[in-house]
Amino acid sequence: MAQHDSAAAARHGAPMAGMHGDSMPMTMPIPMPKGMKMLPGLMGLTPPVTPFLPGGGVDPMTLPAAKPSELVRMADGDTLVLTAMLVRRTIRGHHFVMYGFNGQVPGPLIRVPQNATIVVRFYNHIDLPSTVHWHGVRIENRYDGVPGTTQDPVAPGDSFVYHVHFRDAGIYWYHPHVREDIEQAMGLFGNMLVDSPERDYYSPVNREAVLILDDLLMNADTLIPFGKEGPDFALMGRLGNVQFVNGEPSYALHVHQGAVVRFFLTNTASSRTYNLSFSGAPIKVVASDVSRFEREEWVPSVVMAPAERYVVEVRFPHPGRYGFVNAVQAINHYEGEFRAEVDTLGLVTVDSTPATPDYTRQFRTLRTNAEVIRDIAKYRPYFDKPPDKTFTLTIRPRGLPLATVQFMNVDTAYFAPVEWVDGMPAMNWLSTSEQVRWIIRDDATGKENMDIDWHVKQGSVVKLRIFNDPHSFHPMQHPIHLHGQRMLVVSRDGVPTHNLVWKDTVIIPVGATVDLLIDASNPGAWMMHCHIAEHLGSGMMTVLHVDPK
Amino acid sequence: MTGLTLALVALVAGARLPADTGHGPGPYDIALFGTSKVPGVVAHARLVYAPSPFGIAVTADGRARYDVQITATGLPAPSTLGPYTTYVVWAATPDLTQWRRLGSMSNGETTVGHVDFNKFLIVITAEKTATPSARAGPTVLHGTSPSGWLQTFLTHPMFRGVY
Repeated sequence: MAQHDSAAAARHGAPMAGMHGDSMPMTMPIPMPKGMKMLPGLMGLTPPVTPFLPGGGVDPMTLPAAKPSELVRMADGDTLVLTAMLVRRTIRGHHFVMYGFNGQVPGPLIRVPQNATIVVRFYNHIDLPSTVHWHGVRIENRYDGVPGTTQDPVAPGDSFVYHVHFRDAGIYWYHPHVREDIEQAMGLFGNMLVDSPERDYYSPVNREAVLILDDLLMNADTLIPFGKEGPDFALMGRLGNVQFVNGEPSYALHVHQGAVVRFFLTNTASSRTYNLSFSGAPIKVVASDVSRFEREEWVPSVVMAPAERYVVEVRFPHPGRYGFVNAVQAINHYEGEFRAEVDTLGLVTVDSTPATPDYTRQFRTLRTNAEVIRDIAKYRPYFDKPPDKTFTLTIRPRGLPLATVQFMNVDTAYFAPVEWVDGMPAMNWLSTSEQVRWIIRDDATGKENMDIDWHVKQGSVVKLRIFNDPHSFHPMQHPIHLHGQRMLVVSRDGVPTHNLVWKDTVIIPVGATVDLLIDASNPGAWMMHCHIAEHLGSGMMTVLHVDPK
Repeated sequence: MTGLTLALVALVAGARLPADTGHGPGPYDIALFGTSKVPGVVAHARLVYAPSPFGIAVTADGRARYDVQITATGLPAPSTLGPYTTYVVWAATPDLTQWRRLGSMSNGETTVGHVDFNKFLIVITAEKTATPSARAGPTVLHGTSPSGWLQTFLTHPMFRGVY
C-alpha cells in the first residue's frame, strides 16, 4: 500500500488514539444463517484484530437511554449544537453502550428550507476521533467532514463548527467520516429534510414519514465486536441480523383507509442493499438522492443500496395491516440454491375511517417534472461523449485463511450481481482490512485509490465509466458515492437510462459497466468511495479535485 | 485435495483463479448451443436489467428481472425447417415446469424480455406464429443462465475437514 493510501486508510479503517477494548474477548462463534455451516478449516479462528466496542467497559446503566429522533426546524442562520455521545440502547432485552447524536438514535431530524445556511457546532464526546459528513449536500468543501482531505479529525473532547448550505431540496443524511464501520453502525446518523419553496414540489399526501434503515450484528445477548486496528468483515461488509427502522426493531404507523403516505427512505446500513415493499400496496417512486425523477413511476418495490435515498408515495387502500418488508433472494453457496428471505421491518395499520382529504386522484396521476427535464436537458449533449475517465473496481487479497482462499477458488462458477445477504459469514468475519484491499483502479494510469491524480475544471461535465470486474477474487456490488457534486447515471451496460434523476450514490452490480455524468460545479477536493463501510476502510476511495475556474 | 486438483475443479466449473482479472464471460453471459437442426449457427445471449428507476430491476420478492439480448448468425430461414415463420425465445425453469415466452428473434441482435426466474434455461424454437401459447416447433438453440451454474459444495472435501 502506498504511503498516501495508508494515511487515508488510517483515518477510515486503522487504529485511532482513544480506542479501548484490548481485554475484551472476541465473541465466538458469530451467528450463522439457518442451514449454513462453518468450514472446518475456519473453526477456532478469530479475525487478527483487537476486539473493540464503544465505551471501554463502562456500565451501560450509567448512561442515558437513547431517545428517538426529534424534529428540529431550522431557518437560515440558525445554529444547532450536535454532540456525539455514548448512550444506552436496549435491544432484545439487553443493554449496550452505543453512540448517538444529542442522545438520540437516529440523530435529530433537521428540517430546513432550501437555500438556507445553518451553523452546526459539533462536539465529540465519544471515545473515537470523529467528524460529520453532510451526505449528498453540495456543501462548501471545507465543511465536508472528511479527515485528512477537508479537515483534521475531531479528537475526543474537541469540537468543530460546520456551515451547511442546502442548495437542493430533498432528503439527505449526516454521519461521521471516521471508522464508519463502527461509528455509523453504533448509531451516529441522522436525516436532513430540505423543503422546496414550491408548494406543489411533491403531490399532496395525508402524511409524511422519514424512515432511516440500518442493521446490527449480534449474538443472542452480545454485540459482535469490531476490529480496533481496522474493520473486520472486509470481504462483504458487516450485514446485521437485527433490522432497525428509526433505531427501533419494529416500525409502526397508523393511518386511515385510503391514506397516501410519502416516505422519505434512507439506507444507513454498512453493507445491506434493501428491497422494500408494503404487502402489495401500490408504490410510486418520486425522487432520489439529489432531485426528483424526470417522471414518477409505479414500482413493485424499492431497491436501495447503502447511503441511497428514495422518496416514495404509497396508498393503503384497504383496512388491515400492511407489512413493511425487505424481501430478497439469498444464495446458499453450500447448497447452490436460492432461498427467499423476508424480514418484516414494521407494520402499517389501516383503520376503516376514510382518509380525508381523499388524495386518490392525485396519487393515481404520474407526474412529469418539467423543471427536472429542463435542467437535465442541458447535459444531454454530453451523454454520448467518450469517457473522460475509466475506473475498474476490484480486490486484492493478502494472507486470508487458506480455507477461505480455497473455497473462493472453487466457488466462482457464479457470482450474484447483488449480494443481498451474507452468504459466507465466517469467511467474511475473518477477513480484515489488512488482508483485503478493495481497489478503485484508474485504467489509464494503473494507479489505485488515493494514488489516483484526478483533476477537472470547475464547470466541466465529466463522463466517468466504472466497470465492476466480475473476475476478481471476490466480486461484489459497490455503492459508489461522490461527495459535493451531483451526477446522472446515463447508461448501464450500454443501455441508456430511461428516467433520469440526480444522484450522489450509485450501485454498481458485479460485472456491470456504468456511465456517470458528473456536474463538476463545486470546487474542492471531493472523496469518491464505496459506501460499504468496510470496503471504504479497506482502501476503496479516491479524490476528485475540482479546480476553481 | 492437491492445489492442482483444486485448480482443475475450478476450471471445470468455469471459474478463474484469483490472479486472473481478464474480461471474459461474466454473470450476465449465456452461451447458446445450436441443435442439429441448425448446424453452423453461432449465438450467445446477455442479460441486462430490465428498465428500473433503481438501476437494478427486481420483483417484490427479490428476483432479478432481466431483458435478454440475443446475438445470432447463421440461422436459416425458419421455413427451411418446416411450416414455420419465426424463431421464438422462451425462458424455462430448470425443472421445465414453468415456461415463459419472451419474444421472437432473428439473426443479428434482438432484445426480448423480461425473465425473472432465479435459475433458468433459454430455449429458442421455430414456430408457426410469433405469439404461440406453448412450444410446438423444434428447438434450435438453448443455454443456461449463469445462476444455473450454482452447485452444491456439501460433498466437497473442504466440508470434511481437509483444509
